[in-house]
Amino acid sequence: MTRRRWADGRAFGLRVRLLLAFALLGVTTTAVVASGSYFQARTVILQQAQDAAVMSLTDQLAQIYPLRQLPPTQDDLETLAQRLSDREGYAVVVYRDMRAQGAEAPDLLTPQLRQSVRDGVVAWQRISVSGEPVLLIGTQLELDRPDGASLPSGLEIYSVRSLAPEQQSIDRLATLAWLTGGLSLVLAVLLALLAARGVLRPVRELGRAARSLGEGRLTTRLSVRGADELADVARTFNDTAATLERQVGELRRMEADARRFVADVSHELRTPLAAMTAVTDVLDEEADRLPGDAGRAARLVSQETQSLTQLVNDLIEVSRFDSGTARLALDDVDVAAAVTATLRLRGWTDRVHADLPPGIVARLDPRRLDVIVANLVGNAFRHGADPVSLRLRAEPGWLTIEVGDDGPGLRPEVLAHVFDRFYKADTARTRSEGSGLGLAIAWENARLHRAPGQRGSLTAGNAPHGGAVFTLRLPRVAADDVEETR
Amino acid sequence: MTARRAVVRPLLTGGLLLTLLVAGCGVRPSEVIEGRPAQSGASQGIRLYLLWRGQVAVVVRTTKLDRPPSPEASLTLLLAGPNENERRQGFTSEVPAGLGPVPSTPPTGTAPGSPAAVAGGADGLTVTVTGPVRPLSADAAAQIICTVADAAAQAGRAEYFVPVTIAGSDGALPALPCPIK
Repeated sequence: MTRRRWADGRAFGLRVRLLLAFALLGVTTTAVVASGSYFQARTVILQQAQDAAVMSLTDQLAQIYPLRQLPPTQDDLETLAQRLSDREGYAVVVYRDMRAQGAEAPDLLTPQLRQSVRDGVVAWQRISVSGEPVLLIGTQLELDRPDGASLPSGLEIYSVRSLAPEQQSIDRLATLAWLTGGLSLVLAVLLALLAARGVLRPVRELGRAARSLGEGRLTTRLSVRGADELADVARTFNDTAATLERQVGELRRMEADARRFVADVSHELRTPLAAMTAVTDVLDEEADRLPGDAGRAARLVSQETQSLTQLVNDLIEVSRFDSGTARLALDDVDVAAAVTATLRLRGWTDRVHADLPPGIVARLDPRRLDVIVANLVGNAFRHGADPVSLRLRAEPGWLTIEVGDDGPGLRPEVLAHVFDRFYKADTARTRSEGSGLGLAIAWENARLHRAPGQRGSLTAGNAPHGGAVFTLRLPRVAADDVEETR
Repeated sequence: MTARRAVVRPLLTGGLLLTLLVAGCGVRPSEVIEGRPAQSGASQGIRLYLLWRGQVAVVVRTTKLDRPPSPEASLTLLLAGPNENERRQGFTSEVPAGLGPVPSTPPTGTAPGSPAAVAGGADGLTVTVTGPVRPLSADAAAQIICTVADAAAQAGRAEYFVPVTIAGSDGALPALPCPIK
């Protein structure tokens, strides 16, 4: 999951940001500390080397005094230069226009250094000779004056010594600093990964739990660890989930209660209705012989009792769908024959233009197919206008039955609610002939037919030339134990 | 975009820092660093003040004596002019060779038969020479004053910057100390 997110544009996700922050922090801190100590150490090393060289030179020069002859001869200068040169460096002795050097080397003295020495101070300068650092130290040999001051003699001594050993020490320091920086970077990355894991794992768990909750598993809970902000979030999540679970449970219980109530009432009404039906049968037989109003009343009672029985039966059917106890009784059925039987049974054969290609066999519940077709055709008769047409078609894996009429069609606001229970398209007609449950039951019956990856459907629409069209679509081979995927 | 900028800026800063670090590595050349005053020490010999390219400059003549030279001896040597070695190296003297020694009796403390005479003490020295002193150039006067004052100071007779009067056949020059600071 994480890898997928890496791929789809999370280049600056929490993990990368943490990594960068830690790496930057580590590198910056190390750079500041290491470079600070490096520069400090370099200054100290150079200063010590310079001071030691200056000290050693002045010590050597102190032994030259007292000066016996000024101006010196060239030989004197050469002797002095040789005497002051050693393993670590060589000396250059300058007296006005004369010059002697303790080693074969180019003239390295800079004009600035010469000037400072001429001005009467001990001066030194680091220069770079073809990449190698060289330290130049210069001083004039002055003469003590009786008043404590000194007198310039014009004799200048320069010491030239290589700083290569110091350079090596400093380079070692630099290597050490780089190594420290690299190690701290590695350490920072490791720490960042650790921190990212510590932060990201709860976040990932939270995301997973939220998704699970969203998919309807209301019992999802997080384990709360520690007392930080993430633990707070987890606790809040758990509280929210618990509240949600409680409320949804409450709602479900209330809904179940209501449905059970309807089912119970329907069942309770069945017995008295059966008795009433028996009585109205007798009344029906006698109605013709009853005079006037009494006969009409008897017929009305009989008719309403039939409607009531129909309504109660429909309610029981609906409550079976609601409680999920409705089961298919599957059989291999010749659909054309089954539809023909339905029409014939209700005496509609002549009034319906049936287009029924023979030989379409499907595995479905014949009783429910009968209910659906009867409902659709009956509905077309009641609300549409003749002629009513019925068309059976087979598609790969599916069969469709279209029931159309020549009526005015369905208005858009009706279309949206046509399968709702007790929905009355014509509000002026408070009492229609149907129970108001017929299309709802047909819809439930259609949806009950399922196969893996397929589910039966019933849709309503309008034909291009006007008139409502109900389309039933069922899988060719329905299965009775497809897992509920609500 | 914002996230990208937020990343780019630290990276740039880091790069700059890194460049600075790399550039600042190793031993860098430096400017001239000046330390304490130049090495100084004693000289053994007679100090004379000659001219080198128009500047009064000190030279040291070797002597066989251990004690400090007297002002008179120094003056005599100065009046004699630079020796061969000094001349070869470009030293000159503006003190005219004709400036002779003093014929009068030398003051107490000076060697008998001394060609020039230096009189006076801590308050001021008077150098008496034969011949005219008016035509002496400022450099020549400075040479005489510094040589005499240096020797007198080494001998403990006066301070280094004691005023020195040069007197001759045509009078005396005003008293001046040695101009070398």
